[in-house]
Amino acid sequence: MITVGHLLLLAAFLFVVGIIGALTRRSAIIVFLSIELMLNSVNLALLAFNRFYGHMDGAAFVFFVLAVSAAEAAVGVAIVVAFIRKNGTTSIDAANLMRW
Amino acid sequence: MLVTAFYILAGLCFLLALSLVFHRNPMVAAVSMAGAMICLGVIYTLLHVPFLGVFQVIVYAGAVMVIVLYILMSVGQEELSPPPGTPQLVFTWGAALLLLWHLRQTVVLPAGAGTSQPADEAYGTIQQFGELLVTRYAVPFEVASLLLVGAMVGAVVLSRRRWE
Repeated sequence: MITVGHLLLLAAFLFVVGIIGALTRRSAIIVFLSIELMLNSVNLALLAFNRFYGHMDGAAFVFFVLAVSAAEAAVGVAIVVAFIRKNGTTSIDAANLMRW
Repeated sequence: MLVTAFYILAGLCFLLALSLVFHRNPMVAAVSMAGAMICLGVIYTLLHVPFLGVFQVIVYAGAVMVIVLYILMSVGQEELSPPPGTPQLVFTWGAALLLLWHLRQTVVLPAGAGTSQPADEAYGTIQQFGELLVTRYAVPFEVASLLLVGAMVGAVVLSRRRWE
């Protein structure tokens, strides 16, 4: 059967891939999607423990994380659109207003 | 049987995640992300929480990815700036491998991990989940609805035309 170790391994790999994407890609949209991938890997870990301990609290947390990430997607995409409108590019190198 | 399905789905999900991060074309990356979300939804179903799998497909593969693809198709498909330099790559891969190693060192699974079955037949039914949402998690549920309204207002305010 599927053990909690399998699920945690998959979650850890997805999280690390998300970190690599968020730190190395230049396109703001891809960085945003990488962050979503990291959120999903944490969801998977929550559900693994949820199943292992046989109660539903982890599922409730995943439900709230889904709601928060939907809100985050709406605001994030609005920010990306405003950013593109202002700078004419999706490259996050253009976001240097507060650079020292 | 279930384990085989899980291995196939996990491998597919991992490959799609790699495609999201490493593919040069943003459209291919976004569609890979949608595929990875669908794989995760099926894995949730394998974990006896099928309604969360359905939510995952509706919210992520449906709503979020459609918004992102819409933005990509309308504005975002440009050739990206040059690939990251060597120091950045070394730092990133170092951080990622360090994190994996740290997880391997610190996560101690409880004894008998993975051998437990759900306690009762009602586990994972949407009835049990719904009861939990209106009893123990009633306040977070309301806060989540407030958060969604706030996010909606924020998105409308942010997308007004005032960046001249």
